[in-house]
Amino acid sequence: MAKRSGSSFGSFNKTKDFGPGKVAPIRTEFSQGSVPDSIYAANRESAWSRWRRGFEIYANSLYDKSYSYTFNYLIPLPAGTVLPPGVNPPQIPGICQGFPTKNKELGMHWAGVRVGGSLRFDNLRGGGGVTASIKSVTEDEDFWYVSLNGGWDASNPLPPPLFIPPVIVGGREIVPKQYPINGEILEDRVVEVGGTPITAATIDPDTQRRYGYIQAVLVETDEINGILKMQKLGSVEATPDGVFQTPARESPHVGRFLITGTRYCCSCQDFSRRDYFYMTQLGSTNKKLFPRTNVATLRPGRFEIMTGTEGDANAVNNNAMTSAQLDRQMEIRAPSAAYNIPPTVTPNSSTVPGTTRDNPGVFRSFGGRYVRNNPLPSLEGAVAEGPPLYKDYKTRQNEDGSFTITELTDFWTPLLDEMRYCKHIYAMKFAEKVFPPEPSDLPVEMGDIIGWERDLVAKTNRENQTAAYNLSVRGLSAMDVPPYNCQSPMMMPMFQRLFNVPSTFILMDGFRMYDKNGKEYNPSEGGRPEV
Amino acid sequence: MADFGEIVDGTFVLSPEQVEIRKYGFSEIKASGIPTIYHAGDVVNLPYTTGETSTIEAIGLAWSAFSSGVGPA
Repeated sequence: MAKRSGSSFGSFNKTKDFGPGKVAPIRTEFSQGSVPDSIYAANRESAWSRWRRGFEIYANSLYDKSYSYTFNYLIPLPAGTVLPPGVNPPQIPGICQGFPTKNKELGMHWAGVRVGGSLRFDNLRGGGGVTASIKSVTEDEDFWYVSLNGGWDASNPLPPPLFIPPVIVGGREIVPKQYPINGEILEDRVVEVGGTPITAATIDPDTQRRYGYIQAVLVETDEINGILKMQKLGSVEATPDGVFQTPARESPHVGRFLITGTRYCCSCQDFSRRDYFYMTQLGSTNKKLFPRTNVATLRPGRFEIMTGTEGDANAVNNNAMTSAQLDRQMEIRAPSAAYNIPPTVTPNSSTVPGTTRDNPGVFRSFGGRYVRNNPLPSLEGAVAEGPPLYKDYKTRQNEDGSFTITELTDFWTPLLDEMRYCKHIYAMKFAEKVFPPEPSDLPVEMGDIIGWERDLVAKTNRENQTAAYNLSVRGLSAMDVPPYNCQSPMMMPMFQRLFNVPSTFILMDGFRMYDKNGKEYNPSEGGRPEV
Repeated sequence: MADFGEIVDGTFVLSPEQVEIRKYGFSEIKASGIPTIYHAGDVVNLPYTTGETSTIEAIGLAWSAFSSGVGPA
């Protein structure tokens, strides 16, 4: 006999009232970025909400300017290269800004900035010592094709880092050609060789008008013809009237030299598209908890591991921090074959050989974005919305059956003011006093915007207080801040993207830090800020 | 003319009020000096002369070396 509801059998049999207003959305981990929860993913993915939250964080972080770590990174030279004595070493100036965060290990997200102008094209020379100024510009609807001076051809292609020639041994291409600078923001701000970069306010003495300049993303490089393809979408122009407008109406100016624009990276989950296990929860819940990752949030595909310990260079070392004398390596592991689900699952089924997944218990992925990736059978040449595309790299099969990664295509794209900035980077852009344009994708189902903003202000205040409290109680040790954490599993990929050098070239002894009085110190030699 | 490594376009200047209100939580701390020497949005002047290894060349060297399996010195 069935028990009545509310009896000792609990409310197992009780039927719930059904109302259309009470239908709860599916909020499982699997639904993130997948079909059932796409409307909420749109809310979370909204650039507008990042932009608005970024302003709130900026306003709050005015208190926390002490979490700025100014650095100058001296790029290590390859073994065998000799730097001429008594000259300026190659360097990348920048800052790391810490954002106290409630739900983050050690209470801090680290966003980094590489100061604009670090890479200058007037330092690149072609045949006959000709500097690589802009020779001519052609354009179509979407791109500018910027031709550089220097007499480039097949025997004299564009120099590194614009183009890294392939490594060929015995007629076989061991390492494919690379274009590390693709994706950088470029600005035409150097008027003459060795000249100071112009600003939006600089006046041309010849015309008595402001110079103006263009800012755009480099998307492709033609090394043989010396042509850089720059994207109009998201470009910015500083006009002769001294205002910024987007997209740019002018082309990059002939005769000028390009420099790189400000580059941002962040260690937060939103920017890296991955979360990691929050160890501090172990203590707060007082439970024995084994770090695990839901199968649904384990990303198939490539992942990074840190290797290198005192005795064994190949041992995995995922510590957040190590000694300053130990240099770790970042290895990218990838499946040697496509991600395969077995056609049938039997009690004896095991992992398909060659299928690799992310680090269980260390990372979890936030899932993918919708990408148009499936051919649409009804319309020739069209592609349909498909399931999230997880494969974020391309491989090529070698003769011996092994695979070589030829291209990493991250979710991260450094478009100027488009969707991939996280709220921390928006906060830094507000601090920069370049008011970032308001993205138009206002989240749906947000309802009362005044109420939402009021809640946001209160929530940001509250969370910052909690984060500041957590920081003061748990403590942020000297080893938890840049540059001491530069080889930790979350920070090394971040620095690698920020500096745009191979991860093996991220070494602590390259960092020169500046204290609050602007005095330089070298942490790898035990240097400390003055108190 | 700016010298090597100087900021030529710095939009970030802390007002006296902003410097004054810098504090941790509710307990005031004493701090002196300029909090940052670089900031987001700054542009640095790095005109390397002939014979010097510039930043763009060093990054090129690093990527080329990485292709050939050579590490940093």
